[in-house]
Amino acid sequence: MRSDTILKISVAVFVGAFFLYLFGPLIIMSVTAFNSSAFPRVSPFECFSVEWFNVLVNDDKLMLGLRNSLFIGLGVVLISVPIGLAGALMLMQISPRVRSWYYTIVISPILIPGVVLGISTLVFWDRLGLMFNADYDSFFYNGIFLTILGQATFISAYSMLVFISRLQRFDSALEEAALDLGATHVQTFRKVLLPFLRPAIGSAAVLAFLASFENYNTTVFTIVSESTLTTVLASKVRYGINPSISALAVIIVVMTLFGAGVYEIMRRREEAQRAASTLIAKAGDAAAVLGRKRRPVYAEPAMIILTLVFVAGLGTTFFAGTVGVDQCKVAVKEEKRRLAEERIKERKLKSMFKQAAPGKETGSKSGGGTGKVEAKGTEGYKSIFAPQNLEGQVESDEKPAEDKGKVDAKGTEGYKGIFAPQNLEGQVDSETKATEEKDKIDAKGTEGYKSIFDPKNLESQSGTNGSN
Amino acid sequence: MNIAQSIREFFLRNGMVLGLYLVIAVTFWILILIVLPQLYMLDFSFSKNLPPAKIGGPEDVHTLEHYEFFIRGSAQNTAAFNVVDLQVFFRTLLAAAFVTIFDLALCYPIAYYMAHVAQGGWARLVVLSLIIPFWVNEILRAFAFRIMFGSGGVINGFLIWLGIVDEPVDFIRENVALYAGLGYAFILLMIFPLYNAVESLDKNQIEAARDLGSPWWRIHWRVVIPFAKPGITSGCTMVFMLSAGALAAPQILGGPSSLWFTQIIYQWFQTGNNWPRGSAYAVVLLASTIVFVLLMMKIFKVRLGEIAR
Amino acid sequence: MSADVELDDVWIKFGEFVAARDVNITIKGGEFFSFLGPSGCGKTTLLRAVSGFLEPSQGEVRIGGQNMQGIGPNKRPTALIFQNLALFPLMTVWENIAFALEVRGVGKAERRKRADELLELIALSDQGDKMVHELSGGQRQRVAIARALAAEPQVLLLDEPLSALDLKLRQHMRTELRAIQQRVGITFIYITHDQGEALTMSDNIAVMREGVIEQVSDGNTVYDHPETSFVASFVGENNLFSGRVTEVSDGFATVDTSEGPMRARNALKNGSPQLSAGDSAYVFVRPESLKFANGHAHDNTIKAHINQQEFEGHFWQVFMDVPGSDKTIKMSMVNDGMELSHATGSEVSLGFAADLAVALPEGPLAAE
Repeated sequence: MRSDTILKISVAVFVGAFFLYLFGPLIIMSVTAFNSSAFPRVSPFECFSVEWFNVLVNDDKLMLGLRNSLFIGLGVVLISVPIGLAGALMLMQISPRVRSWYYTIVISPILIPGVVLGISTLVFWDRLGLMFNADYDSFFYNGIFLTILGQATFISAYSMLVFISRLQRFDSALEEAALDLGATHVQTFRKVLLPFLRPAIGSAAVLAFLASFENYNTTVFTIVSESTLTTVLASKVRYGINPSISALAVIIVVMTLFGAGVYEIMRRREEAQRAASTLIAKAGDAAAVLGRKRRPVYAEPAMIILTLVFVAGLGTTFFAGTVGVDQCKVAVKEEKRRLAEERIKERKLKSMFKQAAPGKETGSKSGGGTGKVEAKGTEGYKSIFAPQNLEGQVESDEKPAEDKGKVDAKGTEGYKGIFAPQNLEGQVDSETKATEEKDKIDAKGTEGYKSIFDPKNLESQSGTNGSN
Repeated sequence: MNIAQSIREFFLRNGMVLGLYLVIAVTFWILILIVLPQLYMLDFSFSKNLPPAKIGGPEDVHTLEHYEFFIRGSAQNTAAFNVVDLQVFFRTLLAAAFVTIFDLALCYPIAYYMAHVAQGGWARLVVLSLIIPFWVNEILRAFAFRIMFGSGGVINGFLIWLGIVDEPVDFIRENVALYAGLGYAFILLMIFPLYNAVESLDKNQIEAARDLGSPWWRIHWRVVIPFAKPGITSGCTMVFMLSAGALAAPQILGGPSSLWFTQIIYQWFQTGNNWPRGSAYAVVLLASTIVFVLLMMKIFKVRLGEIAR
Repeated sequence: MSADVELDDVWIKFGEFVAARDVNITIKGGEFFSFLGPSGCGKTTLLRAVSGFLEPSQGEVRIGGQNMQGIGPNKRPTALIFQNLALFPLMTVWENIAFALEVRGVGKAERRKRADELLELIALSDQGDKMVHELSGGQRQRVAIARALAAEPQVLLLDEPLSALDLKLRQHMRTELRAIQQRVGITFIYITHDQGEALTMSDNIAVMREGVIEQVSDGNTVYDHPETSFVASFVGENNLFSGRVTEVSDGFATVDTSEGPMRARNALKNGSPQLSAGDSAYVFVRPESLKFANGHAHDNTIKAHINQQEFEGHFWQVFMDVPGSDKTIKMSMVNDGMELSHATGSEVSLGFAADLAVALPEGPLAAE
């Protein structure tokens, strides 16, 4: 009995740990969205604030990416749902000898790595464009067009799988019955098959849209000079992060929760309905269901509660966010200044004994106003130079908002420095922040590199980077 | 046997309009979206890196130089092999295998728990809650792990608070964040095939084994795992392939000195501006994944349809 | 309106497999015609060739004298009742019935009116707005018929439509189907493996085995004058004795069986007797043709030993062994209220008249 209890406890602990792993990151990320701290963090929790949501919606690049993502998602749905349906219908009637070959080919895009699909789409259409002597602004080189095609390649397979599982429950005698009663093939398709497939079309479309919306691996190659939400996000996350990304995550998590809730309710309804209908069929009692009306989804009690919670949550965050934030911020700033001063004193004390490192000097110079980094090398460099990264800025903290970071990137790709003014706030604690930035050291030397300059690099490695 | 007759029957069965729709849609998909781009990429990987003006010209000949580069490195390279790229390649495969094993170890108990221990509404809730992290954008998932594992992040804060470490641990440099993030990203793809397989196991078999005095680990080893083999194969294949082909997570969570193979491909395209070489590397990736899938199919005797679902 | 259906030298092949072989049948307009055979005999395949879901590999299907080659199911004057009925689950009952009108572009009011008329015909007047799954099995059956009739077909094809129903309903529906057929007066082609259905409803029956039509005639003839050993063994119950023909005369044949010599009608095919002396032959005797000899003279007599007697209401079924052979003989006696004349276990002598037995050339038999 005792070992049984131990087993039970360890199972509970394991399941608990699993869910901590599953939700911990999302919860922590969500919390950081409401922290006024410029770096996404949970502690110290400075002020409860929704400013990052504002930052988010005012971010033009992100919004442009979002628009493109929505457009691409729509395009992918419009292409991959009909293709997936055709693929599934074809599978149902193809002769068994060809079937396994056919299946292997159409299912392969799911197994082929996304980057490979992106690359093959890119080079193929590039070549076609060359063959037709197309202009560079023609669709052969259009990132949105290529992305739709590249994504549709594998998303069609997803939607095909959805259709296959639904079609397996389709009684093809229904089609024959319709034909037999004089319907044309198109009428049969429209009046018999499509209504049956409607739920599958819905789920295939949602699946296709979501898969498109969150795709990165294929998109990053096919998008060329355009951008989508994921590519903008990726470059943001790689080259400097702030909690507006957490804010976006909060929105997505909430929407997913909402969607999952709706899905679960729909599923329960369908199940209940099916159970009822089989019961009736068995009993042969038609009267039992007479006059029973289906409740619309939005009238489902669980749905109403879900919506209320959703709206209430939004409302509270909004109001809570506007009240008392400024006051809190001032207090936090004051506290920081005090801490910073202490630190400066400490450092000054230290520097009495030690000689200042040359790198430090560079740092303080560039931190004063314009940080300019020149990246040399055979390949382009992506250098993101966020002013707050520079140690020594504590001294120049008095005139922060005017700071401008300038990035000189040579090579084929220009680079996007992300310098939202809010990044500059609270620079006093850049020391802790600095270590959070990751530095990438070129491992190879011949290849181009992304160096994210942080104070450590500047101190000791500013020379190394150039010579790499 | 008789193609003309098959085509006639096809149109007789579907009618002209629908028949054309099926044929055109499927042909477009297979030829224009799947087969031709892959074939062209293969061809392209054998061509020299030329400016557009010279393509089709006398210099545009097939060459093995990109594959040679992958194995031997540049002409200046004194070593026998392109140590850097090959190392990255094999380390990627190894790391992907590690992530796969991690996910399997993590998900198997959970799948079993969901299928045979959890009851009714709670089981549904567990299933549903698995889906939610999956639909959060992969970039955001990686971002979350970066927040957590940063030096001022929750994990370090917790470790310091516990007094286990004095200084923040650089989880990013140590690739802990990367493995945790990759493992996280593909949990769902591991758990559902496992769950589907384990769930269809008759509970009586487990009870019979228990009745015969078998300890719990032997029940799993001798009864549940052999039964769930197709699910395990499917989950492992998917997780391995997706980890090896991942790009966002390594870009965001990868340590400074560790590259993922996809990142090298990405560099040849984005910064290296050598598309044919990037294509050659992509072909290497594609070929190794094909070999991997075939190997899994052969070893575990499953069909392709059982893997990709 | 009804139309003749002619199958002229029809062959249907699926690769190497021949589903129908050299079928020649003429079904007259307004007739209730059944294809009867065990499952897998090709009767459904023939029906699909008539309705247009598949084309014969060879030969012609003519409806109303018109060759149907290349005419799709939606353009043929036929309507099919499917084995599983294939009612549209997402439509209401009346929408199902009016579907044929809907696809012809008939307006909604007109459709509803016609659907109501048909609902009345099948006695489901107030059920039009229900969903199909809310109906009982028998009601669905009638909806399927109404839906097919709404298309105003000249030929109604029915593919074992009663097989899903329970016994009692099945028997009720037989009468109802026959009544509907007589009311609408169109040609019915009915597919079944149930000889009871075929015999009770049909004007004519075609018995099929492995793609071949064994015999086409009315129910009585099929039952009393089978032309092949398969028909004799498939339709109704029969006791079978095998042997060699020793003599043929005046339409009778004498067969030397291991249970003794037996005299039986020499079965006709196309008007001529099939057996001659020396042929291997089967003698078929129906259980109801056997009598206890009780000392009376009979054309044929068999010695037997009563094994078991079962009471079935109208009948007594008596099962007997023949000493020295493993044959079981079955006899049925009308329950006339009298006591059983012979106890189980007693030795008896059975007799039967020569013209109630039939001798046929040895050939394939129906599976038990």
